[in-house]
Amino acid sequence: MSGSDDARRNSVGPVLRAGEVADAVVEAMQQDNPGKEFVIENRIAYVRVETEGECFIRQETLSEALGRPITMPEVEVNLTSFAGRIETTDTYMRFYLEKTL
Amino acid sequence: MALLDRSDWYDIARDTNWSPGFVSRDDMFPAELSDPYGIPEAEWETFDEPYKVSYREYVKVQREKDSSAYSVKAALSRSKFHDEADEGWAAVLKLHYGAVALTEYQASQFQARMVRFGPSPSMRNMATYGMLDELRHAQLQLFFPHELLPRDRQYDWAHEAAHTKNWAILGGRHAMDDIMMCRDAVTGAVMVSFAFETGLTNLQMVGLSTDAANMGDFTFANLITSIQSDEARHAQLGSPAIEIMIKNGKKKEAQLAVDVAFWRMWRLFAITVGIPMDYYIPLEQRHMSFKEFMHEWIIRQYDRQVRDLGLETPWYWDLLKDDIENHHHCQQGGIWSWRPTVWWNPPGAVGPREREWLEEKYPGWNDSFGTYWDVITDNLLNDREEKTHPECIPIICNMCQIPISNRPGPAWKARVLQLEHDGRRYNFCTEPCRWIFTTDPERYKHHESIVDRMYSGEIDPPTLDNVLTYMGIGVVSEGGRDGHDYSWVDGFRNQAAE
Repeated sequence: MSGSDDARRNSVGPVLRAGEVADAVVEAMQQDNPGKEFVIENRIAYVRVETEGECFIRQETLSEALGRPITMPEVEVNLTSFAGRIETTDTYMRFYLEKTL
Repeated sequence: MALLDRSDWYDIARDTNWSPGFVSRDDMFPAELSDPYGIPEAEWETFDEPYKVSYREYVKVQREKDSSAYSVKAALSRSKFHDEADEGWAAVLKLHYGAVALTEYQASQFQARMVRFGPSPSMRNMATYGMLDELRHAQLQLFFPHELLPRDRQYDWAHEAAHTKNWAILGGRHAMDDIMMCRDAVTGAVMVSFAFETGLTNLQMVGLSTDAANMGDFTFANLITSIQSDEARHAQLGSPAIEIMIKNGKKKEAQLAVDVAFWRMWRLFAITVGIPMDYYIPLEQRHMSFKEFMHEWIIRQYDRQVRDLGLETPWYWDLLKDDIENHHHCQQGGIWSWRPTVWWNPPGAVGPREREWLEEKYPGWNDSFGTYWDVITDNLLNDREEKTHPECIPIICNMCQIPISNRPGPAWKARVLQLEHDGRRYNFCTEPCRWIFTTDPERYKHHESIVDRMYSGEIDPPTLDNVLTYMGIGVVSEGGRDGHDYSWVDGFRNQAAE
């Protein structure tokens, strides 16, 4: 287990309550973060979406994936936690780490 | 109507700082309530919370969260879930609500201290939302168990537990008074917002939701993940406070606050989440072990955040990893044995199949913790139920207030770590608990554990009945019994028959 802790030591990303918004975030993040490999862990009540170092959720892409407009503050309803640090703006959320280990 | 982007006006709306004319700034923000580290006001003005929200957005989003939580509850309240759910799940709920509901009011008071005494205007602004968040959490977690009261009086502990002197509550209160109620705004932001709310609350509110959903209790799964979505936001008060402390030469102080608070919460949460995940949840509904959740949320996620902020992994991290293998297994044995002293019905739940699972998740479990349960199982199989109730009084840790124990087996490793201070001897369960005491003996030295109270005459005479009454047992509700009325030993009975 410590092996996988180690392998993912620079992982960042949202932890979402399972549901349509979580599904849309997974879809949108893959479009918005080209070249990134995501680890998606389905924990029944929640979904952990992680990738190395940095990733974004963009409002426009997310609205499209969801099929209705959603504002970034509305994402909070389903953002139950996250790995790494966060930056929040009107148009995107960014998850990142400052130091790479 | 075109609205400005939030970022165009956010700083102006948030920065409600002014120069006091009638009192000095020191009078307005006394060090012992605000910032005891003497960091200049200009430095605090650089405080920039990473998770931003305006009041307008806050009200809209919170309304949406609440309507979702209440409508799921309303929709499912006609289901027969609670009629059919395993008593182990009821134990999870009773333990959770009793331990958590009123603690949320304390958390709200703590946030209110930051609202008033936070040295940075943006900290005060964010804490205002945090204060409202915690009120929401208290009210939800009082209202939700209330409908279960007609079914079982033990649910009354959701509201009553915090008003009693039950031993488990003394432990919770000691820790929460320490990190939330009796700290200045800055230290509290580091201890509560960062060390607590980005760490172990995730296990209680998100990790546990997986098992809740597996159980079919979507009301509870939805409730607790909704609560943690507030925490994820207001917990972000902690990181800028830590960064400003480090930048101003107070790294050592920030590290101390993180290390003390995390360990204090760990000792409690291993009981409120660890035991439910590995014992109370029926085997078929367990998704992962507590240890696996701890690695996901703490060893990987939380520790990484600690280091990204420029702090070090706590010095006791190897002791923590060891404690993850032991502490909650010990306390499952202790709480089950002392079941009349708690407000839920803890299932022993260590039948043959459960023991297989425990051995797989915690290799060596059978040869260690298993030997403790062998004796109990043997007594139950041979109609000696009375022998499953211990007659001795445990030794309680003078920091975490939890019985001192360790892994059983060929070598009995339980050790009391002692300390003499001001003519009194103190007992501790682990090095970190003793270390915390030494960081500030004046703060901790007067507190009496439940066992100290038996010897000091506060509980007089210290008969079992008197002790139980003192703890609210038989007053608020009856105390606990085995959650499955010992049906978990049937598997061994059948094995013997075969």
